Amino acid sequence: MSDFLNYLVNGALSGLLYALIAMGFVVIYRASKVFNFAQGELVVFGGYMVWWTIIQMGMPVWIGLPVAFASAAIFGLMIERIFFARLVGESVFSMVMVTIGLLILIRGIVLVLFGPQVRAFPIIFPLEPIILGDVVISRSLLYGGILTIVIGLGLSWFFNRTRVGLTMTAVAEDHQVAMSMGISVQRSIAFAWMLGAVLSTLGAMVHLSGRSINMMSSDIGLAALPVALLAGLESLAGLLLAGVLVGVIQGLASAYLDPLVGGALGSVFPFIIMLLMLLIRPTGMFGWKTIERV
Amino acid sequence: MDPAGVFATSFDQDQALVRTRSQAVTLGLFVMFMFALPWIADARSVAVMTSMLITAVVVIGLQINTGLAGQINLGQAAFMGAGAYATALLATKGGMPFWIALPVGGVCAALFGLIFGLAAVRIKGFYLALTTIAAQILFHFMVLNLPAAWMGGSNGITVEPARLFGWALDTDAAVYYLCLVVACIMIAGAYGVARSRHGRIFAAVRDDDVASGMMGIDVVRTKALAFLLGAFYAGIGGGLWAYYVRFVSIDQFTLIHSIWFIAMVIVGGMGSVTGALIGVFVIRFAQEFFTSVGPSLVENFSFLSGDVVFAALNIFLGGIIAGFLIFEPRGLMHRWNILKRSYRMWPYPY
Repeated sequence: MSDFLNYLVNGALSGLLYALIAMGFVVIYRASKVFNFAQGELVVFGGYMVWWTIIQMGMPVWIGLPVAFASAAIFGLMIERIFFARLVGESVFSMVMVTIGLLILIRGIVLVLFGPQVRAFPIIFPLEPIILGDVVISRSLLYGGILTIVIGLGLSWFFNRTRVGLTMTAVAEDHQVAMSMGISVQRSIAFAWMLGAVLSTLGAMVHLSGRSINMMSSDIGLAALPVALLAGLESLAGLLLAGVLVGVIQGLASAYLDPLVGGALGSVFPFIIMLLMLLIRPTGMFGWKTIERV
Repeated sequence: MDPAGVFATSFDQDQALVRTRSQAVTLGLFVMFMFALPWIADARSVAVMTSMLITAVVVIGLQINTGLAGQINLGQAAFMGAGAYATALLATKGGMPFWIALPVGGVCAALFGLIFGLAAVRIKGFYLALTTIAAQILFHFMVLNLPAAWMGGSNGITVEPARLFGWALDTDAAVYYLCLVVACIMIAGAYGVARSRHGRIFAAVRDDDVASGMMGIDVVRTKALAFLLGAFYAGIGGGLWAYYVRFVSIDQFTLIHSIWFIAMVIVGGMGSVTGALIGVFVIRFAQEFFTSVGPSLVENFSFLSGDVVFAALNIFLGGIIAGFLIFEPRGLMHRWNILKRSYRMWPYPY
C-alpha cells in the first residue's frame, strides 16, 4: 500500500514537471499559433545558461538565476526577431517547419557554446527528500510542482481575464483578423517566445537541479508532448490536470506493467495515450473546437 | 513553359515528361553517366552515390506524401526502418531471395504507414506531424522491447548479400547497380503518379481538403493512399539500405533522419519529384563535404575541436531549413524554373 502511495505521489509530481515543460508549448501556441517543436532544446539552452551563470561564473544563486532568466528571454526575443518576425501571415506549415529547423540549429549552437561534455548542474533545491510516513518526496519535484500550479493558474488568469492576454489569444485565433483589429501580431509573438524561453529555463531548473546536463536533457521536451495534447493546446489550467493524469498513469505503468512485459512500457504509455487522444478527440480535453468552412 | 517552337498537338504530347530532343539527349547522357560511374569514379564516390540513390527513393516517397498530398510526415525514417526490418527478417529468417523480400518489405512498410494515414483522416496539420512523431517513438519501442529473437532488439540484424541468379551482389559496384535500377523504376513511377489522375487528386486535397471533398473527391481514401504510397517508397528504400549496409539497427532510423528527409524536400522544392532529387543531392553533398573537410580543418586550426564539425553540420542544416522557408519556400526547383524561363525568353523580358 505504501509502495502504491509512493508511486502515486511521485507520479503526480513528475507529471506536474511535464506540465511545466508543456506550459512552454502552450504559451507559445496561445500567443502566436505556432507549435514549437524546439521546446526541449529551449529547456537545454536555459539549463546551460543556469549552469553557466552559477557554476562557470560563480554567481550566487539569487543573482545567477535572474541573469539566466534574462538571457533566456533575450534568446527568445532573438529567435522571434530573426525568424518569426519575417513569417507573420505565412502558412502555419512554414512556421512549424521553422521550429523544426530551430530544433537542430539550437542543438548546434549549444554544442558550439557549451561543448558536448556532461556538466554537473547546480543544486538549486536542497537534495534531501521530504519523508512523510512511508512516502518519500524529492524536494525539487515538490517545490517545482507548487511553482507549476501557481504559474499555471496565474498564466491562465492572464490569458483569459486580462486585456493584454486576450489580445494575444486573438492572435492565436487568426493572424489577419488580429491585425485588422489593431493588435500587433509581432509583439504578441515576441512576448510568446520570451515567456516560452523563460518557462523552459524554469523547467530545466526543476528538472535538472542537483543532476547533470547535456544534449540528451532535451528529451524532456518530447516527454511533455502527450501532456500538452491531452490538455488541448489552448488550455493552461488544463495542463495541471493532464500533467497529473499522465504522470500517475506513467508512474503506475512503469511500476506494475514493466516487470510483466520486461521493458520500458511506462515511458511509451504517455505516447499511446496521446495517439488515442489524437484519434478520438484531436483538440484534447480542454482545447478549442474549430469549425471548418470553405 | 516550353521553348519557342515546341507545341503540344495531342494530349499525350502535353503530358509527356520529355518534351524536346535536347531534353531526351541530356537524360540519356545522364543515365549513361550514372551507369558508368563505378568505372570512372573512386570507391568513395560510388558509396556516396549509392546512399544518395537510397535516400532519393525514401525522399521521393516523402515528396508524394508531404509535397504532393500535403500530409506532414515526420516519421518517414520509421517507415524506412519498418521496410528495412521487414526485408532483413524475410531475407534472414524467411530465406527469401531479394526480389521477393524487397517488394514485400515495401508492402509491410506501406501497411505500417497506412495506420498513420488513417489517423490523418481525422487530424491535420501539425497534429498529424505529432502523430507521425509518435510513430517514430512507437517503432523505436517495438524494436527495442519486443523479444530480441523477433527483431534483433538493440543488437540489430545482419543481412546476407542479395543474390541474383546465383550471383552474390556483395561488391560496392554490384550494390550500386542494384540501387540504381530500383531507384530508376521508383523515380519513373513517381513521375507517373505525379501527372496521373491520382497526382491531381493529391494536389487538390493538399490545396483545400474541404473544397476537394465538396467536388466529389474521396478525401479519406486519398489521404490514406498518400501515406500508403509514401511509406511504400520508404520501405523499398529501407530494403535497399538493408542490402547495402547488410546490417539493420534501430539507430539508423531516428527522428533526426526524418528531419533530414523533410529538409531535403524543403530545399529541393515541395511538390516536385525533380526537386526531391535535387534536395537529396544538395544536402547529402553538404553532409559529405562537412564530414570530409571537417577533420582536415580541425588539424590545421588547433582552436577548433572535433565536436565543432558535428555542431557546424547541425547549424548548417537548421539554418538551411529556416532560411529556405523564410526566403524561398518553394525551394531550389522554383529558382531553377525561373532561370529556365528567363533564358528561354532571352533577350525579351517576357
